[in-house]
Amino acid sequence: MTSQKKASYLFIALIFALGVLMPFMIKRYHLNMLTEIIVFALYAVSYNLLLGYAGLLSFGHAMFFGMGAFTVAVSLIHIPGLSMWNAVLLALAMTTVVGFITGGFLLRHKGAYFALLTLAFNSLFYAVATKWHKITGGDDGLSITRPDLNLGFTTIKMADLTNFYYVTLVVIGVAIVFSWYFTKTAMGQTVLLMRENEERMKFLGYNTNISRLILFTFTGALAGLAGAFYTLHFQFVSQSAISVDMTTTVLLMTFVGGTGTFWGPILGAFVYIILQNYLSDITDRWPLFMGLIFIVMVLVIPGGLSQIILSIRRLIPGKRNTDRPVAAEEASP
Amino acid sequence: METKKCICGFLAAALMFALPAFAAAQGTIKIGGTEPLSGTFKDIGERYLEGVQYAAKVINESGGLLGKKVEVVPIDSELKPDVATRKAQALILKDEVKFFCGGTGSSVGAAMAQLAEKENVIMFTYGMDAASMTGEKCNKNFFRPGGSTDGRSFALAQMIAKKGYKAVGIIGQDYSFGHEAVAAFKKKIAQISPSTKIVAEIFHPAGTKDYAPYASQLIAAKPDVIFTPNWGNDLTLLLKQGRPLGMKQKVFSYYINDEVMISSLGDDSLIVGDMGAEIYMLNIPTAKNKEFIEKFHKDKGYYPTWLRGKSYIATMFWAAAVKKAGTTDVAAVIRAWEGLSYDGPAGLWTMRACDHQAQVPYWAVEIVKENKFFKHAFEGPVTEIPAKDVEVPCAETGCKMGK
Repeated sequence: MTSQKKASYLFIALIFALGVLMPFMIKRYHLNMLTEIIVFALYAVSYNLLLGYAGLLSFGHAMFFGMGAFTVAVSLIHIPGLSMWNAVLLALAMTTVVGFITGGFLLRHKGAYFALLTLAFNSLFYAVATKWHKITGGDDGLSITRPDLNLGFTTIKMADLTNFYYVTLVVIGVAIVFSWYFTKTAMGQTVLLMRENEERMKFLGYNTNISRLILFTFTGALAGLAGAFYTLHFQFVSQSAISVDMTTTVLLMTFVGGTGTFWGPILGAFVYIILQNYLSDITDRWPLFMGLIFIVMVLVIPGGLSQIILSIRRLIPGKRNTDRPVAAEEASP
Repeated sequence: METKKCICGFLAAALMFALPAFAAAQGTIKIGGTEPLSGTFKDIGERYLEGVQYAAKVINESGGLLGKKVEVVPIDSELKPDVATRKAQALILKDEVKFFCGGTGSSVGAAMAQLAEKENVIMFTYGMDAASMTGEKCNKNFFRPGGSTDGRSFALAQMIAKKGYKAVGIIGQDYSFGHEAVAAFKKKIAQISPSTKIVAEIFHPAGTKDYAPYASQLIAAKPDVIFTPNWGNDLTLLLKQGRPLGMKQKVFSYYINDEVMISSLGDDSLIVGDMGAEIYMLNIPTAKNKEFIEKFHKDKGYYPTWLRGKSYIATMFWAAAVKKAGTTDVAAVIRAWEGLSYDGPAGLWTMRACDHQAQVPYWAVEIVKENKFFKHAFEGPVTEIPAKDVEVPCAETGCKMGK
């Protein structure tokens, strides 16, 4: 376990180092795409904490994403001189509160009821975003300009793609690492055990409702952070950010990447954004192909890309005992 | 250990990144056409894009622009501002596209205008009509070589005032475009014909299916004529359901000369006698228009109606600005386009520097049964409404152009 942990930290450091080098290696167009991937990776990770770890199928994750996205846009427009940090913090606070309140309503139900209720709540938020034209811009959406980053001793120009990429890499990267760390904590383990056998957990004295609410709020805040950076990245937000389409997007990413592992959805976000960019260059019907890929994934490889990679590794001799998916492994201590 | 598994994944993804981007062809000037090319408004988007593509073809056949070929890159906006800007941004970064155009969806236009300013490219529109885009939302990278809700409403108000109608019923779609259109109409009619009364003002949700309640309200108010900025299905259904209920009044509409709308009515008597004002019509009696229609028809086998004509002229106007600038440098093209005039098929268009709204003549028309273009009803003879008559003074636009 310790050697595995060490290797994990090493790996994280490696990825960060690679991320830092990226602007020197790739073109601006690709850097732009990479920034988008990082943002969506966090969104997918937060979704997988719900779906893969807690076994909660939500169709309403976009309400947090969209809430974060709109909070940043609205606050930057209406509060003059607001710094980027404060806008992001506002978004985080807002989504935490919304997550806590909606979680209180939603988590009374399980399974299909929970799934459908989340869909209903998402539609509610979508309707507000569409109709409240004065604040959200309705169909027109909201355009913002990224404020420059004041570090006290110097100001970093955020209009520059590379600078914004670094900020995204650090902030979102830390959030993803923190999520990973969260799954290793006692709280994270509780969530897994609850999924496996809730009755037993209750008998052991755990208040499963509170654990679930904490997780729900946490994932909501993570999605909100992703949403905040989505707005900052595109410098534009419209009702699409809070629509069911945005939930479908994260569902696709998570399934394509695989729900069985922590890093599967990150891979899913990678593949989804790249495919979307290249496919939409070739054809206007790219959602059709994404749909086909999704169907094939669910029918043939329910474990997603991460399962494929795990299977390949299984072929390498001498590694047999380490290739079980994280969740399953930790679910049976 | 999951670490190595991840490495494989990331390496695979990194490899995909390394794939060379589509090599940008040298010696072409690219222009991105943002239109809805899928979904409900596909037909509108495709007709607009055709006009732009035809303009590119004409330019290329006569030696190109600054010696380079013009290439139109279609961008399916899906009528969503976030989709349009996302794709446009990719084109800017990947292919260094500097020029964008589009005709459908003022929401797309407003977002594209903002993007254009941030990325320092040029966006122009020939059909996104909300007046605010060259009003309070204006910026130096956005041009409108086309009509606006102000121009259209002013033109129709003038037609109604000239004919001496004293009671007008208004019906419009309940969103920003509908409200802007109606507000402009009321402002103008109060100015030029104070004795004309607005006897009904009805707003309905865009995409309404049942017009019976709205038509009944209109009929009950007993107007002499009806003014509506409705378009597409909202116009078709208003006429189809309102006429049999007894809505006999002449309808003055923004987009009356839409051949697809007229043919989908299926009954010419529903629309014959209705009037509209547009910036391009097949019947505009200029020599340049005759030549344009003839060439287009010879090439394609059908007529450059309405949308196609508007986007064609706007694209030719843009090309004239690039030609005058002598370079594709964005700042130079902006300077060149400001104040430039273009004498095309629809008369003399002049790009005003203060708000980048082209000052264009409108053409008033009545729909008649017999016409030389279609078997169904279409445009009758047209009369010019000079640009001066529908002008909004610079000071009243609300535009503060940053330099």
